[in-house]
Amino acid sequence: MTAAIEVTGLSRRFGSVRAVDDVTFTIQEGGICGLLGRNGAGKTTLMQLLTGQDFATTGTIRVFGESPVENAGVLRNVCFIKESQKYPDDFRVKHVMKSAPWFFGNWDADFARELVEEFRLPLDRKIKKLSRGQLSSIGVIVGLASRAPLTFFDEPYLGLDAVARQLFYDRLLKDYAEHPRTVVLSTHLIDEVSNLLEHVLVIDNGRIVIDDSADNLRSSATTVAGTKSAVDAFARGKQELHRDSIGGIASVTLGGLSADDRRAALAAGLELAPVSLQQLIIRKTSTPDKEIEYSA
Amino acid sequence: MTSATQTIPTRAPSGLTRILNVTRLHFVNRGQIVVVPWMIMTFIFAVTLVIGWILRDTLTMKELADANSGMQYSGAIGYFLVYMLVIAVMAISQTFPFAQSYSVTRRDFYIGTVLAFATLSVLYSLAITVLGWIEDVTHGWGLHVTLFNPSYLGPNVVDHFYVFLVLFLFFFMMGIATASVYVRWKVNGMLVFFAALALVILGLVVLATVTSSWSAVGMWFAATGFVGVVSWTLVPTSLAILVGYLLLRRAAPHN
Repeated sequence: MTAAIEVTGLSRRFGSVRAVDDVTFTIQEGGICGLLGRNGAGKTTLMQLLTGQDFATTGTIRVFGESPVENAGVLRNVCFIKESQKYPDDFRVKHVMKSAPWFFGNWDADFARELVEEFRLPLDRKIKKLSRGQLSSIGVIVGLASRAPLTFFDEPYLGLDAVARQLFYDRLLKDYAEHPRTVVLSTHLIDEVSNLLEHVLVIDNGRIVIDDSADNLRSSATTVAGTKSAVDAFARGKQELHRDSIGGIASVTLGGLSADDRRAALAAGLELAPVSLQQLIIRKTSTPDKEIEYSA
Repeated sequence: MTSATQTIPTRAPSGLTRILNVTRLHFVNRGQIVVVPWMIMTFIFAVTLVIGWILRDTLTMKELADANSGMQYSGAIGYFLVYMLVIAVMAISQTFPFAQSYSVTRRDFYIGTVLAFATLSVLYSLAITVLGWIEDVTHGWGLHVTLFNPSYLGPNVVDHFYVFLVLFLFFFMMGIATASVYVRWKVNGMLVFFAALALVILGLVVLATVTSSWSAVGMWFAATGFVGVVSWTLVPTSLAILVGYLLLRRAAPHN
């Protein structure tokens, strides 16, 4: 596998704010990668840096082996769909559908037409007059139909209803299977997309706090529940991510349980349950004190 | 999975194609840069015709001659030219963040944009030259009014076209440079820019006054002639193109 994106020591500061703070990671070619994190964590800034829209303060970015900044050779293989994308005043939906093919070499006009119908997007309407969901669906359609080898979706479905979101997931997976490419998906709706993701990057306060395969992550933490004394005995010396207790019953989320640990827990009469990706990320990014070292 | 099957690299368009695509992008919705200005022009034209018609029906021959000679120096078309600056500012400040979403480099965007507005300059000055010629032939649309062919332009059609071409270029490129200040530094940039512009103009006025050179300035304008003065605007126009590029090259489409 070759790397689609290689980032080393990347920082972007706005005055004293470190929007992206000394970040190093690699995203392999092919696959859907989740870029997850809270509001203001630095997701959009990071994607703007990766697509040459913003300038790094320090560090290096390689997209398909080259710096993306002002690099037409790299950028023609990149499509970045931004939640807050502005369109020129008085632009209608049809103007986007007409001009997008000029800039994306793999544009599939039939596919775009199909999507416009499925998302019930009125072609002749002014973009200013669209609902928030319809506005998002323009981005979704451009992102899918452009078939760029590297596609970024930044919160692509703000305001989209559940039906339209499911449509997006279905179309993304189907089209991705037929036309493999690298997709970076940034979202808050972690559980909705967790089945799509092959790799997960979690950014918090401008730093990458998780960089792992989705499978590893799912098996990296377990909820252990039982009587408080049994749970306490079992949890001692283990990495505790979260704890709930009611009366004599306790439930803790523990990181990195081995097969032996699991057997021991079951033998002690404890219940084991998997932790959802969303729960796991909440546990790992809501800790106000020093970051928990993540180990798979 | 091997990397060879992963991506289908997109067809590589040549540099010129990429630039021309940006130029086309400015024309994909013609409302703002073509329809609205010519609606304004049509309105000005209609008002001029109505005034001409009222004058013809109410004034004596002697008064009419006076009124028409006054109209020879009509500046209505000047408003249209200044409006071009506004159009360029709006088009660039809105199209730049949008073009970034189409993965366009700033360089391609800038060259394509300058090309788009140079094209508009040619088309608009041609249109005004043709209208001016018709105005001339029909003796002011049959009403002795002057709009497209003010007398200070002289009778030469080539001069007419040249003057308007250079003026359109001047206002469009000033607009592009101003918009570049905006996309680079947003509102703060605009404030500093206009303050600086005011200071520069004030400085020149003070300089001319202190050195008592107003008469020399006047003589220079008289000696250079209308077409000559217009030609001199090519200097600030070229500077605007260059400065606009240097500014936009480091601009980021922040929200």
